[in-house]
Amino acid sequence: MLRRKRWLFAILAILPTLALFAWLRMFPIYETLRLSLHKWDILSKNKPFIGLANFQELMSDRLFHEALLNTSIIAFGVLIITIPTAMVLAALIHYRTRSRVSGFYETAIFLPHVVSLVPAAMAWKWIFDARLGPLNAVLTFLGFEPQAWLFDPTLSVISVIVLCSWQALGYAVLIYLVGFKSLPVSLFEAAKLDGASGPQSFWFLSMPMLKPITLYVSVVTLVSGFNVYAQAFVLASDAQGAPGRQVRVLVLDMLENSFRNYRVGYAASEAVVLLLIVLVLTLIQFSLLRERGRA
Amino acid sequence: MADVEIRNVAKSFGPTDIIRNINVEVPDGAFVVLVGPSGCGKSTLLRMIAGLEDIDKGEISIGGRVINDVEPKHRDIAMVFQNYALYPHMTIAENMGFSLRLAKQSKAEIDQRVGDAARILGLTDYLQRFPKQLSGGQRQRVAMGRAIVRQPQVFLFDEPLSNLDAKLRVQMRGELKDMHARFKTTTIYVTHDQIEAMTMADLIVVMRDGVVEQIGTPLDLYDFPANMFVGSFIGSPAMNFLTGTVRQAQGQQIFETGSGFRLPVQAAAGAADGLTATLGIRPEHLSLSSKGEGLGGKIVTIEPTGSETFVVVQLGEDRISALLRQRLTASIGDELWLAPQPNTTHLFDSATTKRLAGA
Repeated sequence: MLRRKRWLFAILAILPTLALFAWLRMFPIYETLRLSLHKWDILSKNKPFIGLANFQELMSDRLFHEALLNTSIIAFGVLIITIPTAMVLAALIHYRTRSRVSGFYETAIFLPHVVSLVPAAMAWKWIFDARLGPLNAVLTFLGFEPQAWLFDPTLSVISVIVLCSWQALGYAVLIYLVGFKSLPVSLFEAAKLDGASGPQSFWFLSMPMLKPITLYVSVVTLVSGFNVYAQAFVLASDAQGAPGRQVRVLVLDMLENSFRNYRVGYAASEAVVLLLIVLVLTLIQFSLLRERGRA
Repeated sequence: MADVEIRNVAKSFGPTDIIRNINVEVPDGAFVVLVGPSGCGKSTLLRMIAGLEDIDKGEISIGGRVINDVEPKHRDIAMVFQNYALYPHMTIAENMGFSLRLAKQSKAEIDQRVGDAARILGLTDYLQRFPKQLSGGQRQRVAMGRAIVRQPQVFLFDEPLSNLDAKLRVQMRGELKDMHARFKTTTIYVTHDQIEAMTMADLIVVMRDGVVEQIGTPLDLYDFPANMFVGSFIGSPAMNFLTGTVRQAQGQQIFETGSGFRLPVQAAAGAADGLTATLGIRPEHLSLSSKGEGLGGKIVTIEPTGSETFVVVQLGEDRISALLRQRLTASIGDELWLAPQPNTTHLFDSATTKRLAGA
């Protein structure tokens, strides 16, 4: 009797959270999946079922392909820059904790993560500006050609990657710092006696032992990389000044299809593709994590 | 192999002095145990020898070479840590061969030396496993193996057995002794367990509050403790202390307590008549005596273990414990009379706690 009562209490206690979760998380996913199989223009009451027609159309949509490619390049670019940089920065901060300025470095690196995205992107837009930007000023000073960072098709993608990495770095460094702090000191002392130098300890001990942290940070960075939108929107306008056209990303493509072209079902099918990509990448990373656990 | 000399060494962490002017000579090939209660500075001293802590003052030399400013890896030492400090992501073979790999030894050489060490320690079947797949005792052996493969001049052990259960500790104690007998490598071993110190050491260094209280062979420390601290720390169960005065009577010196217990002693020069002194009696040196003879009181605790009986007797305000070889029929509350065996007691100056004489 008592057990049943307790069970009932547990259910009642958890129900509000569960309901909220279902409403805010599960329902939109379900609705997106449902919409992707329908044709809908936001206004009409009719939502005819069209099966996989949206997905078939995606196959030959040039804009979608461009957006998918750009998004993938940005996501993996951010990953490739963020992970090693974050690890090295965290190591430097951790092993120089006696330094008085280590707190300053920690804050300085984490700050971009809490700064609002649009003003930060505006600041970077100025840095990358072809005529007024300090980046080109430095390049010119060093004797290089100034570049049209935000107008060149390749350079603009690189600029978005730089901005996204700058933002992702703070969080990644923070998580790595926690990881470094949890590594047992005696292992590094043992390595010191075994003859390992600082960089050797980092390579042979820290890096392999931080593998779970690396996998976690990779998942988070990659997922947020695939959701890139505002950075590209603010940073890269096309020649006529239309925002977001220069570096077309998936989320932008979805927004345009939904609210400019009124093709919500089609946009939903794009969202499903994005969901699948992120899901598959996450599964791969987690299976790697589990393999590590078995070792 | 090499001797280790610690000369006038001091160390402080901020305002706290951890090591105060310590001098120890570790002879070539000896097994020396640093023993003392927690916080006495023994581990810090070991870490200073290893190079994991800086030396604030004084000098440490290994084989005649001062190593104060020598990198740990160039000190030619190997250390076994309390928590084993095995690299969790490396196999046992990789763990043991890591130092050789860093020293850029050939794979054949690494395999051979790791293989040899594994054979000695009975780890051959476990070389491809990971540390977490081994038991505590096996991990400790791997840590020892990692030290052996380096063929160092000095082995350093930092409480290596304290994470093991009692039975395994006794077994590993034996293995460590065997290993020392085999390699004859100078060994410095830190423990807070005086039994470990007594059973393993050639030479024991007793430390307290960053100071060396006494250095000697295990039996020297047991038979001639330099002060009350060493007397109480070495030996188990701990030594009993009775406070009284030294009196001159009929041409000889007598130790006398307030309760009227008297014992002839031979105090050293300087033990003036009326000196307040403390008599140390080891529990195992007390025997049953007839009523009115020796020390009498009511039994508070009685613990028969078969081979011996441990009793605690209330003696006025003091309690004394005795370890008797015979079995007792008495029970708690009964009166019991105990007398020290001849020439087994220790007399200390109560003011300085230093040893005056044996009796």
